[in-house]
Amino acid sequence: MDMNSIPALAPGCRLHPTQDVLLVPEGTLQLGGPTRDVLARVDGAHSVTAIVDQLLLEYEGADATEVRTDVLELLAGLEQRGVVRAQR
Amino acid sequence: MNATGSTPITSPFSLIAELTHRCPLHCLYCSNPLALQGAENELSTADWKRVFAQAGRLGVLHLHLTGGEPLVRGDLVELVSAARDSGLYVNMITSGVGLKEDRLSALVDAGLEHLQLSFQDQDEAAANHVAGARAHALKLALVPIIRKFPLALTVNLVVHRMNLDRLPEFIAMAEEMGPDRLEIAHVQYYGWALKNRSLLMPSEEQVHRSIAVVEAAKQRLKGRIHLESVVPDYFGSFPKACVGGWGRQTILIDPIGQALPCHAAAVIPNLVFDNVRRQDLAWIWQESPAFQRFRGDAWMSATCLACPRKEHDFGGCRCQAFLLTGDAEAIDPVCTYSPHHSLLQTLRGQTPELLPIWRG
Repeated sequence: MDMNSIPALAPGCRLHPTQDVLLVPEGTLQLGGPTRDVLARVDGAHSVTAIVDQLLLEYEGADATEVRTDVLELLAGLEQRGVVRAQR
Repeated sequence: MNATGSTPITSPFSLIAELTHRCPLHCLYCSNPLALQGAENELSTADWKRVFAQAGRLGVLHLHLTGGEPLVRGDLVELVSAARDSGLYVNMITSGVGLKEDRLSALVDAGLEHLQLSFQDQDEAAANHVAGARAHALKLALVPIIRKFPLALTVNLVVHRMNLDRLPEFIAMAEEMGPDRLEIAHVQYYGWALKNRSLLMPSEEQVHRSIAVVEAAKQRLKGRIHLESVVPDYFGSFPKACVGGWGRQTILIDPIGQALPCHAAAVIPNLVFDNVRRQDLAWIWQESPAFQRFRGDAWMSATCLACPRKEHDFGGCRCQAFLLTGDAEAIDPVCTYSPHHSLLQTLRGQTPELLPIWRG
């Protein structure tokens, strides 16, 4: 996963419509902090860069470098868990 | 029932819907009860739809459609669709036998999200022997068809004494299928499987070697295939938190509508199971005496009451305690503090049975 990757949720993974959990096969992942906002933009069409840009518009005054690092770290972790896939 | 530390009952996490007990396979390790329910008594389409709607309102997240073989139900597409409309995450546990591409397509369109396919061995003759049916080749042929669809696939490898020595090859077979998840599950000795316990129970040495194989596979497959393993019954020093604790996470509805806290609960004497034909699921979850029976810690032995592990394993498995000691309130004999713990050492040391008993 890098800034040019286009992340998508893996098959069988989706955000719960109302609760802050990601539904995955045989379980749920609790979404803390801004995780839900990030995953809501993971659509298999936008790159990590584009997702970060969208988030920066929403979170006025946030540190761009920090957001970039956090988003990349989050998505890489979810990729390791097999619930997010990086496409090019 | 909660004599001490009365904790409020939270929503169940999952609903297991045993749609039917009919099945094309006759597995030696079948977890269904000895007495199966006939097709004539099964819940109707309308019954199941009502149950799914009640489950959604109750806050259930995951629905597991299982059996028997759920594909036997002619109304399966309609049921999947109703479950999704009720807000449930829909998983189907299937043998795959008889599943064609057009039906799978209809199931996915209806909202099926996850499919679980089990394998009995990587050797075809051995696999068919355990399943009591020529199913292995059909399952293998189904995998590339499943992979055409936007559906999570779990491959489940069921392991026991007869195939555990081939675990590395078994895992390699599964890896080649490219599933999203891989489950390596030791047979559990409930239902029909208990009849074949002596045939299926691995040796200590086999278990020991298999743990290293599973750990190595976990590391190797990291980031590609999510691997989960179910440890063998009878080999630990502490019991499992069976179904996440009695009446804490799971409701199982059997084919005729009885609501059980787990697959095996019917073995425990004097439990009466309320039926979704007559009761609302929320009432059953909150009030049904069968669900209340082992909630909290009032039933526990003094040993368990004083033990900090009770917060993690909830006293272990009640069905296992009953099946091994004849007392459903006994300490789970897997626990090293159980006065019956030596039973397991005896069982582990026994000469294995060689003759299988297939289910009819």
